[in-house]
Amino acid sequence: MADMVSLKDIAPAAQNNINTQFIVLDKGRVTFEGQNKTCLALVADNTAAIHFQLWGDECDAFEPSDIICLTNGIFSYQRNNLVLRAGKRGKTEKVGEFTMAFVETPNMSEIRWVPDPNNSKKYVQEAVISPHSRIFPPML
Amino acid sequence: MASKLIQTEGHEAENPIGVCLREAFSLIESQLRPPFPLTIPSPPEYVNLNQAILYGILCEPHLAKVHIKHLHGKITDGYGFFTNMLTKVVNDLYPKLVDTAKIQLIWVTSEMVSVSAIGIDGLLVALLRQIVSGDFTEGNLWLCSELVGLFLAKWDCLLEEEPIVLTSALYTFLRLLADHYRLSSNSKLDVLKQLEIKFCIRMFREQFHLCFKIGRDLVRLLQELVHIPEFRAIWKDLLFNPGEFKTSDYRDISQLYLSRTSSRYFLLRITPEMETQLRFLLTHVNLGSQKRYQAWFGRKFLSFPERETLVVDIVRFICCSHHPPNEIIQSAVIPRWAVIGWLLKSCGRNYVQANAKLALFYDWLFFDERLDNVMNIEPAILLIVHSIPKYIDVTHTLLEFLFLLMENYDVGRKDIINHGVLSAFCMLVRKGVLCSLDILVNCDAISPFLKQRLVELFSGMKATVSKELQPVLKGCSLDLLKASSLEAQNTVAGNTHEQ
Repeated sequence: MADMVSLKDIAPAAQNNINTQFIVLDKGRVTFEGQNKTCLALVADNTAAIHFQLWGDECDAFEPSDIICLTNGIFSYQRNNLVLRAGKRGKTEKVGEFTMAFVETPNMSEIRWVPDPNNSKKYVQEAVISPHSRIFPPML
Repeated sequence: MASKLIQTEGHEAENPIGVCLREAFSLIESQLRPPFPLTIPSPPEYVNLNQAILYGILCEPHLAKVHIKHLHGKITDGYGFFTNMLTKVVNDLYPKLVDTAKIQLIWVTSEMVSVSAIGIDGLLVALLRQIVSGDFTEGNLWLCSELVGLFLAKWDCLLEEEPIVLTSALYTFLRLLADHYRLSSNSKLDVLKQLEIKFCIRMFREQFHLCFKIGRDLVRLLQELVHIPEFRAIWKDLLFNPGEFKTSDYRDISQLYLSRTSSRYFLLRITPEMETQLRFLLTHVNLGSQKRYQAWFGRKFLSFPERETLVVDIVRFICCSHHPPNEIIQSAVIPRWAVIGWLLKSCGRNYVQANAKLALFYDWLFFDERLDNVMNIEPAILLIVHSIPKYIDVTHTLLEFLFLLMENYDVGRKDIINHGVLSAFCMLVRKGVLCSLDILVNCDAISPFLKQRLVELFSGMKATVSKELQPVLKGCSLDLLKASSLEAQNTVAGNTHEQ
């Protein structure tokens, strides 16, 4: 696939152009936004972890240990949470199970981002809010 | 119109083998109906034709006989490519196949046995591996029953062409019978059990020289079945009437004890998916990061209480079939002993835990430095030693179990077992797995009783063990006790034994 990125290289942007692959580590409770199911998940690759928002039937289709390929995803603020998601134009597909190495730190959703002073369209990392997900703590 | 090959869930990527077969089929679908063209296909056309016919057989059951006739007419490679594709389908897709495709798969396998296809042994082994230990779902029992039926129906043919595959089937059905006898009886299951018994007993009574090739694990499996009258008779003959088996080479059960079981038998009770996950865990996951992987593996394969007996098969697989290279052993990757520690802890039932410990120590009991591999006995000693700092109860349980086996496993052949265990300890020291026996003998945390037993055991070493091992024994001299045990404690403390 064209332009696969590692999770550590993802920065918030208003664009549906993220192609990446990751493993699902944990899933939160399913809630409803209007008619639609939604569910937050912790996902990771071997460079970083990130919060992923599952939407609609994705909530039941994916379980921890599933390896997912995301095409045309977006990383942006949803109700104050910084999440990666497929969005309307993106696509998620289960491509495997279990056999992927991961790290739980850094977590790209637990970083404070600010607009780049040299390029107002880009975001840069300002500070680490938490090294790990505060929603899904590591299993020790 | 062809039906589907695979049950796909939403959001699931298509399987490449499934796609390849379907595309081959749609490319030449019109040529798959009689009259068949008489032209000789070019090599790429031949490959495509094989794939298309395979897809047709699995997805068009009503035309299967037409397809197979077509195949027989065009085959030029002894069915090697066709059988190899079938094996790939089984290994990569079996759990996902729709039920009609599974039925067709068994049918075409039986056809391939009849024509003595090249690679039929590999296909049969692949199918045997899809039967899951401890799984009593209808689909799993169906596969079991189809395969035992196939092995009985094709007995003569297999005996002539691929006799070794019969030993794989024997290993599988002996192991499954132990599970099937623990389940409360019902008419369907009773029929299956009778077929399994019929096949296994026929192997013992008519082809004992083949059974003998399995080696010591044949005894381990058989002892689980001695409560079944047919097997009690076999057991008695193995012990007291070796002549009954009409195999001149067989004189005593110790011959089975002393022959190491080939690692391929242990793979038979691990599905390819389990194998992939276990090997990934033991190759790519660092100690300390294994928790989530273990939880996932447990949820998928060990979540029902009746599945627990699978742990015994996994312990055997890890000890005997997964031997990591030195780069992995010296890296931060989770070692085999730690995974086995987790598996033992996950056994709820006593008899499963006892069988898992027996699986862990089985090669110790009959260890022969000329035939056996130190890697098969390494996990047990490392689990014993690394558990000392934080999990001394594990160390105690394992040592107690080892002594229990030495006393009781075969009262009439204690000398063989004693020699085996001593040889195992010697080999572990000689290969540097254990830097000295003093780590155990002089360890403050180990109970005085067990230490006494160890001292008694090791004192027999000079008498029993061959001369070339004498240098090892010098390393055990009392002068070294303090220093080496201190060193060992440090090494052990540096290793976090997370379970």
